[in-house]
Amino acid sequence: MRLKCLFTAVTLAAGLGLSLPAEAVKLKQRAATTSQAGAGDEAIISVAGVMPSATLEMTDEPGTWFKDPNDGDALVVVKPGEAVLIKMTDTNSEHTITSLIWQPGARDFPVDQEKPSSASVTVKFDKPGLYVFTCKVHPYMFGAVIVDDPATPGLDLGSEIQLVTGAKVPTTSDIAKKLLRTFFVVTTPALWRDYTKPTWEVKLPDIPLNLGGVQISLNALSVSVPNQVSLPATPGVGEVWINTQFEKIAGKTKFGSATQLDAATWKIKKKVKGIKTNLNHPHNMWSDKAYRYIYQTEWFDKRLTTFDRKTGDIYSVVTVGQSPSHVITRPGTDVLYVAINGEDRVAKLAPGRNHNLLGAINTGPHTGPHGHWISDDGKYMVTPNALAGSVSVVDLSSEKATEIPTGAVIPIAIGIRPQGDYAYAANLLGTPPMLSSMSVIDLKSKKKVKDIDLAADYDPVSGKTQGPAYGLLPIQTPVSPDGKYVVTANTLSATISIVDTATNKVIRQLPCDPGAHGVEFGFKKGGGYYAYVASKFSNVLTVVDMDSLEVAGRILLADPGDTRITGLNGYGGQGVLPLPLPFHGWLTETLKLSGSGELDPEVEGWLKELTPAQKGI
Amino acid sequence: MMNRILYQLGLLLVLGLSQQAWAETHLITLKAARLPSGQLAYQMVSHKIEHSGGKVEDITSRYAPGPTIPGPTIVMTEGDTAKVTLEHGITDSQLPVSLHVHGVHYKFDSDGTTRALNGVADQAAFPGKPYTYEWIAAPGTAGTWPYHDHAFGDPKVGAEDQGLYGTLIVNPESGKVPALIDGKVTQVNLKDIKREFILWMHETTFWGQELNHIVNREIPLWTNPTVGARQGELVRFHVIGMGTAFHTFHLHGHRWIEPGTTHVVDTVNIGPINRQSFVVKAGEGVGTGDWHYHCHVVQHMQSGMMGKFRVIQ
Repeated sequence: MRLKCLFTAVTLAAGLGLSLPAEAVKLKQRAATTSQAGAGDEAIISVAGVMPSATLEMTDEPGTWFKDPNDGDALVVVKPGEAVLIKMTDTNSEHTITSLIWQPGARDFPVDQEKPSSASVTVKFDKPGLYVFTCKVHPYMFGAVIVDDPATPGLDLGSEIQLVTGAKVPTTSDIAKKLLRTFFVVTTPALWRDYTKPTWEVKLPDIPLNLGGVQISLNALSVSVPNQVSLPATPGVGEVWINTQFEKIAGKTKFGSATQLDAATWKIKKKVKGIKTNLNHPHNMWSDKAYRYIYQTEWFDKRLTTFDRKTGDIYSVVTVGQSPSHVITRPGTDVLYVAINGEDRVAKLAPGRNHNLLGAINTGPHTGPHGHWISDDGKYMVTPNALAGSVSVVDLSSEKATEIPTGAVIPIAIGIRPQGDYAYAANLLGTPPMLSSMSVIDLKSKKKVKDIDLAADYDPVSGKTQGPAYGLLPIQTPVSPDGKYVVTANTLSATISIVDTATNKVIRQLPCDPGAHGVEFGFKKGGGYYAYVASKFSNVLTVVDMDSLEVAGRILLADPGDTRITGLNGYGGQGVLPLPLPFHGWLTETLKLSGSGELDPEVEGWLKELTPAQKGI
Repeated sequence: MMNRILYQLGLLLVLGLSQQAWAETHLITLKAARLPSGQLAYQMVSHKIEHSGGKVEDITSRYAPGPTIPGPTIVMTEGDTAKVTLEHGITDSQLPVSLHVHGVHYKFDSDGTTRALNGVADQAAFPGKPYTYEWIAAPGTAGTWPYHDHAFGDPKVGAEDQGLYGTLIVNPESGKVPALIDGKVTQVNLKDIKREFILWMHETTFWGQELNHIVNREIPLWTNPTVGARQGELVRFHVIGMGTAFHTFHLHGHRWIEPGTTHVVDTVNIGPINRQSFVVKAGEGVGTGDWHYHCHVVQHMQSGMMGKFRVIQ
């Protein structure tokens, strides 16, 4: 968001004398008269409805997913009694308009559209304070309304905020400040962490805020952190694909690419941009067992794109449903399972260059599955049902789905132990009253056995931590190929949690970047694994050494020499796909092809680098 | 004045009921502007009627004074023509903005499309360069028609979705419309209709307006309004669709006939740019009350797509 515009609005609201452009003021006055026309006129019995004072238009544009058509900001300031129209304008997929944060006791709150659609809402606000809206399918789309009472000093945020998780926290609390800073960072690409600069400066302007009587300046939320890019000393094996989902690219109107990184040199090999097909928010990838193709979901669209791993040539673009989020294959059959996040199913597609739809697995009403996973033995598929607060365990032979309510808010990603006994579901907004949680699911009994409190050591009011469990808003959460650890990217705390699967406790918290999102494991040369972590609002990939459980390096995903990239170079890190896949169920299938002539010499070379332990021998 | 009426009546008697005798020319200036909310809207700048005898009547004051959604409701009669000049008042944009009208006749250069679509020229207003359209409400064009932008935005196909739309009512030259009154299909005189309610169904919201013929004024009613009348008054509804969604308009307690038929209905399908006008007698057979109206698509109802038809004594 452009802070200058916010500043203008704020000073106006605070009565500091700066005015909106004359035309707008004139319009406002006129509109006010017209809306009251007929009052006291007996002949007119009709009563006018609400006239929106501001608009937020939902778009596919990174950062400004809710956009004020007046100034392009993701934030509007209105007065008590005024209304805001929230509508979907320039977006290729369906969304929900859902309250993430609101004022306790506000009339007609929370707002929540149960199912994704294209439906708009006009929301009237009676209580001053901060209100944040999101989409349950794409839960980092943020738009904010500040209802400011002109009679009070500063911009009113209210004394408390109510979170969608049920928690009510003071606006002076650490968690509220984290949320507020994150809102400004997420919706302002200029504030995203840029590792080509020596420091990350989140400089917020001096705008007086009123936290229910406590006055602070917005610039109190500013931060400055040094940046350091460092390549891991030990190379990896093969390559790593990262969805740099927000890159602006010349020649297309939608956003994002798939960045191919050479794990031997840590150099970018290429970026697949999908210019001709207008690739839209490439979110998550998988490959066939011979690593010929990359299967690519388009999360803010309805499509699955398949391209050649080596050349980047696009073979097919298939419409699969609303907001396809993740794709994975079933070990043994190589059939694709695509989670249809905006609907209630996982689509099944034939492998190869092009795809016949083989069927669909219903995950239950209003489920909206996001980052599913399949067990190494190919027996079970588990879906985190973002819109239902449940997970579904699907027996892939019978395709029977069992929905297990977990009481969580936005379950978003799944990891399964290689032993095939337990699945882990990261819950973006926790399991009330836990702010941040991961549910452990017993696959045999099909029951939730535990919720791991990912923020057990964090005091949300003071911000103090007393141990490693302080990860907030967990997203992708795979289990290491050896079954020892669950590694989770936490988007709000900008950290990486490591859970020991033997004790189900957080044993480590590592620093990451704003919008930490995608995690996947790859092979480390000479033995062991790396966890690769991508962050939406930074332009590096964080590499975690799974032997030392330390950050091994941060690799720049921006390619400054690529003139096709016109903005947000290297940003939007989400899906990660290291090849060779280290998970034994899939790796065994690829190893079987070794020497048959079906594998590219490059792939044969990667397989030769693997140690017997890595191969699972 | 009296002389002119007598003269015209005489002329009518001599020439027979010629349409030309009553034909009017409308000189209209509209402006496309941005509302404080950031939405776009049309505004009436000036509407003058040139009567056949040469008398010019300025009816601008009947309209709402600012930009509104829906835009100004323009009323013509079969046989009338209109010269509609559009001004570009969207101060933060250089993109062309236009008027594309449905239903009435016009020549190619009044289509309101861009060169990218029509292959010839931008039939649109630019900042400082208004564009004039000519509409002919030829015999057979009676009905309620939408007009909307067909140029603004990228890729220049129009910003109707952002609020640039309005209503054109072409009344039949006969001055009568069929209606279901007291259980019978009958012809009612347009001059007996006291109020007209214009309801646009866009996404999950009704955007309303009233043409009140008692005080001769257009009243903007914005979103999901209460429309009101006295029991027994003849009122005409104009329901129009916009956007991508399909709706089913339902009004409680009242029935009407589908135009051109004798089918009695209380719910009609409204797709994008579909429209329906109908006359009801307020509270007929059911009395006073706040009669609900809404879209019957459940998801739309749940999103608040509803209002009231208030019938009072």
